[in-house]
Amino acid sequence: MTWGPRTKETLLSLPSMVWLIGLFLVPTLLVFAISFRPSTPFGGVGEGWTLETIRGLANPNYPTIIWRTVWISLSTTAICLTLAVPCAYFMARAPVRWRSFLVMLVIIPFWTNFLIRIFAWKIMLHPEGLLKKFLLMLHLVEPRTILMYNEGAVLLVLVYSYLSFAILPIYAATEKFDFGLLEAAQDLGATRLRALVQIFLPGISRGMITAALVVFIPALGSYVIPEIVGGPSSEMIGNKIAQRVFVDRNLPHASGLSALLTLAVVVPMLLVLMLQRRSPSGLSKPEGRA
Amino acid sequence: MKRSRIPLVTMMLCLVFFYLPIVILVVNSFNQSRFSSRWGGFSLKWYEKLFADRSIWFALKNTAIIASAATVTSMVLGTLAAFVLHRYASRLQKLHYTLVYTPLVVPDILMGMSLLLLFASMNIQLGLTTIYLAHVTFCISYVAMVVLARLQDFDFSVIEAAQDLGANAWQIATGIFLPLLAPGILAGGLLAFTLSIDDFVITFFVSGPGSSTLPIRIYTMMKHGNPPVINALSTLLLVVTFVLVWLSQKLNVERSTA
Amino acid sequence: MKKWWVFALCLVPLFGWADEKKVLHLYNWADYMKPELIQAFEEQFNCRIMQDYFDSNEAMYAKLKAGATGYDVIFPSSYMVNVMKEQGMLMPLDHDKIPNLRFIDPAYLKFTMDPVMDYGVPYMVGSTGIGYDGSRVEDFEPSWKMFNNEAYAGRMTLLNDMREAIGAALKLLGYSINSTDEAELAQARDVVIGWKRNIAKFESEQYKNGLVSAEFLLVQGYSGDILQAMDENEDVVYAIPREGTSLASDDMVIPVDAREPDLAHAFINFLHEPQNAADNTGYVYYLCPNKASYDLLAEEIRNDPSIFLDPAVVEKCEVILDLGEENAKYIKVWDEIRAAE
Repeated sequence: MTWGPRTKETLLSLPSMVWLIGLFLVPTLLVFAISFRPSTPFGGVGEGWTLETIRGLANPNYPTIIWRTVWISLSTTAICLTLAVPCAYFMARAPVRWRSFLVMLVIIPFWTNFLIRIFAWKIMLHPEGLLKKFLLMLHLVEPRTILMYNEGAVLLVLVYSYLSFAILPIYAATEKFDFGLLEAAQDLGATRLRALVQIFLPGISRGMITAALVVFIPALGSYVIPEIVGGPSSEMIGNKIAQRVFVDRNLPHASGLSALLTLAVVVPMLLVLMLQRRSPSGLSKPEGRA
Repeated sequence: MKRSRIPLVTMMLCLVFFYLPIVILVVNSFNQSRFSSRWGGFSLKWYEKLFADRSIWFALKNTAIIASAATVTSMVLGTLAAFVLHRYASRLQKLHYTLVYTPLVVPDILMGMSLLLLFASMNIQLGLTTIYLAHVTFCISYVAMVVLARLQDFDFSVIEAAQDLGANAWQIATGIFLPLLAPGILAGGLLAFTLSIDDFVITFFVSGPGSSTLPIRIYTMMKHGNPPVINALSTLLLVVTFVLVWLSQKLNVERSTA
Repeated sequence: MKKWWVFALCLVPLFGWADEKKVLHLYNWADYMKPELIQAFEEQFNCRIMQDYFDSNEAMYAKLKAGATGYDVIFPSSYMVNVMKEQGMLMPLDHDKIPNLRFIDPAYLKFTMDPVMDYGVPYMVGSTGIGYDGSRVEDFEPSWKMFNNEAYAGRMTLLNDMREAIGAALKLLGYSINSTDEAELAQARDVVIGWKRNIAKFESEQYKNGLVSAEFLLVQGYSGDILQAMDENEDVVYAIPREGTSLASDDMVIPVDAREPDLAHAFINFLHEPQNAADNTGYVYYLCPNKASYDLLAEEIRNDPSIFLDPAVVEKCEVILDLGEENAKYIKVWDEIRAAE
């Protein structure tokens, strides 16, 4: 071989880079570019450049939807983390032979088809279904209460869909945590709560950041869940983008919204990436199952 | 030291939360009655209806074609990417890493939307090929990340030793590197395979005539079909999931005992 | 590695399953054709039929525009046929290859935008109306104002189609379903916003299952879908509101880039064989406007006023037209409705 190390490196990097530039970077830039194109009434993309779409984003209807998207995603993330930390703690402290079984129990829903998980909830939340009957029996709801087609249902199914995403990276971090530190802190007189907050949580913070990221970002882009279990007032940005593409025949507008969402996703991600530097463990899903 | 009960209780609640809807769904697939709140006796009639529906088999065939092709391509590209990323630390690799990492966090709908715009602006006909291209694009990153994680534990002195003994690059790659890394590559491939089988949103954007995949079919059925038939289909898919998870767990065990 | 066989196995489908037969690609609404007819056609013409489904004319149109070429027969509503024709997306039909066109009932050709059938042949006609659960909705009256009734809040749906939902409100107010008057549209918007507080969701597809399983008690829906739901749940009733509603004709068209135009013509002809047309009507419960098929229909279908509409009812109804640039007004109003709390 007479190739220098640089040439070799470039050649070896080429296949994946070319693929990702052509089918990821270029399309993403295209989304930004088309946001500045005019739309034609019959669903095409016109010639020339315009700021019309950008002005259209100032449409007073958008803040409601953006705000809803953000709060639903944030609540999903918060609930998932709150549930995931104790679960991960329990899993990491369980006897070794139990551990892999528990991991498997958490992984199975994660691997189950996404649509099927949503469908299962449609059955659960049916106004004359078992859950409703059970809640009625406990006098927790009135006969007229509707469990589905509201923001609460969207939130519930989002948490259901992403909880295992949150548990796995936190578990991976917790498993590496030295629990001796906690006991030492308590021996030194710290209360259990204080030891947890000041030692345990910082110790697993990387897992928590990753978990927050893998829940928050897909939640921001959710489309199917609000579509299926949401009501007339639980539209999120993803639904709006789909509406612009598939109903309104307005690709520039869809692009403008997509560009906005892309920025909303890429900025926090780059921040986290900078925080975690070049560490591949920012990628939690596979690591979580390791 | 006394332990708090909170973790145990949360874990149990989460497991109930995870499995209760799934159990109800599975039980209902054997329910004679089409209403989930009423038990009409044990029946396999929904499975019979499912097996009689030809469109599901077409969709399954499409899914199998796309998932296997996308898995193989992304295993090759992803492993290569992981190797380069691990081996070199240049500015080029920083860019490369960002390129590999970003698709992981971009919501599906954005990827679907941007690929649709790309295919539309280049007049590429939508169909199995465009779905394949889209699936490889997100699978590469997952394979690369899994393999990269495994490379962290990889002992490069083995390769140096082989070089000292006069092995050439090809011998090193096929004789040492691939066999040692195989569990990692396979785990990445398995993940890619599952993600490809599972994907709905991106596929929905880039599918064309005769290219409906299983998730697209399930989505249509969710809206129109007979709910108990979907229960039956879901139950079968759950069985497949169990097998896949079990397999991937075995791959992990193999690695840790190796 | 032993585990390689897993992936080797996955590769099998790549090489197997080669198919020599011609394939006819349909792009259709779900539940919109009797499956036995498809099998019969496949046997008769030694081909395979592949169906993909769309849930709205707009989604179908967007998909075609974006590059989903290669369909042979598509089933859009007639207003969309007009748009597609003007966009040069359709192939002119060769009437010599569709001899059964002579059976088309001219009375229904006025519902389509293409009465000479240059580009589209009527497939089914139907109405939009109200489906409800007769055992639980006791004070029913055939009027769009039922959606104001808070007693059924959370158990009603409106179509997720801006033209249908806003159109119902326009009809209730006594305006045309194709109004482009901004004041009228603003009034209609407020009516729909009022309805929105009572409905479970805007839904164009799942209302059928929802009605069957009593998840929804009162829905705005298409006649055939609701009549199909009546087969599965005998409590379901269909009614056409007295203020009038929209009538629609879905046509069969062949896109310019169809791969099997001959087979596509044969398929259109096949569906208008009187016996096939009658079987299809008896399955989907929309009306295939084929004169020769009427006598072959079962008695209860022949006499069903939801399928064969009373002329007095037709008088009050309208066909939704494509409004071109004016469409933007509807999009704006629809956005305001969707965003309203």
